Amino acid sequence: MLEAEATADILLMTQPFNAPMATEQPMEVVLVKAVLSGDRDGFARLYEMYAPMVHGILLARVPRDEVDDLVQDIFLHALRKLHTLRDAAAFGPWIAMIARNRAMDFYRSSRETVEVTEQMAVTQSPNRTAKEILDLICRLPEAYRETLVLRFVEGMTGPEIAARTGLTAASVRVNLHRGTKLLRQKIGAVAT
Amino acid sequence: MNDNYLWDRSGEPDPEIQKLEEILGTLRYQPRALEIPHHIQPGHRRKFFPALAIAAAITLIAVILGLWLSFNRRQAPPFEAKNTSPINQPPNPAPSPANPDKQGAVATIVRTQKQSGMQKHREATRSLLAQNQSRVPRTVTRQPGLTTEELAEKQQVLVALRLVSSKLNLAQRKTQGVPQLNPIRNQHKIG
Repeated sequence: MLEAEATADILLMTQPFNAPMATEQPMEVVLVKAVLSGDRDGFARLYEMYAPMVHGILLARVPRDEVDDLVQDIFLHALRKLHTLRDAAAFGPWIAMIARNRAMDFYRSSRETVEVTEQMAVTQSPNRTAKEILDLICRLPEAYRETLVLRFVEGMTGPEIAARTGLTAASVRVNLHRGTKLLRQKIGAVAT
Repeated sequence: MNDNYLWDRSGEPDPEIQKLEEILGTLRYQPRALEIPHHIQPGHRRKFFPALAIAAAITLIAVILGLWLSFNRRQAPPFEAKNTSPINQPPNPAPSPANPDKQGAVATIVRTQKQSGMQKHREATRSLLAQNQSRVPRTVTRQPGLTTEELAEKQQVLVALRLVSSKLNLAQRKTQGVPQLNPIRNQHKIG
């Protein structure tokens, strides 16, 4: 069609006006709907997006050896129960809550738990390994623990943590600031 | 402490934070393929609500109808008895005016017959009553005898039935996805 004809069509309104799609759905919503309609690849994509967050949440609560298996279990559980998710946009907070509950269940069901003691922290060598610092983080209050692990271990930024976990940006910022301060104090105390 | 770097890695990097990131980054999640067994399928949302609503409405209607029928049956016998009593009376030998002397004797005989055969008479009446119930339409005999209380109760039952039927309609419309009627329209007409 020539430009002039196209312009005339627009001016005379001879053709129906197709407005562009104004509302763009978040990726999670599209993927959740796809999975519910039978697309398994969509769930693999959700897994790629949210596995680091679930890993971080578990790492702040359960022994490292158990984390990988629990991540898989949690996603399989989520796949089975996906139809119960009312708001597809809330997939992140939903699976984060599943992970927290699963971590609690882990301690309820397992009798052999290893208590992290102060003694373990005091006998540190100057070259602190990652696991030792993680142990220090795990002794912080729960609110700070998860945020610090997601920030330092999983490499997520504050806004990413807020978006994925459903926490407010202000809460995440406060948790990061206070948690880091407490962690520094603990590291300093151990070093001295 | 540089808060901006801690928050979103913008601004001047904090060396201590960077060191923490470097050390703890070794524990980061290592991508691993999710193995989904074939038997696991994403569950589908089951729509229980419409079925439940319909079942509840049907149950409610059945209960109300049952109550209504039982109420009617309880009210029916006095009216039926009143109507059928002349039919069911056994032929009593009336004293003839020609023999006034024998009138007292006949009366006593009738009384004794009545007393002795009362049970049989009642049974006969009951059986006839049961037969008449099927012949005579109830509504004809019952309507005039309703008291004000009974009428009020009947009104209540009718209102309840109307309410139930409207709820059933609502549930049916919901299941069929038909838009609901505007209740304000009727109010406007009434008002």
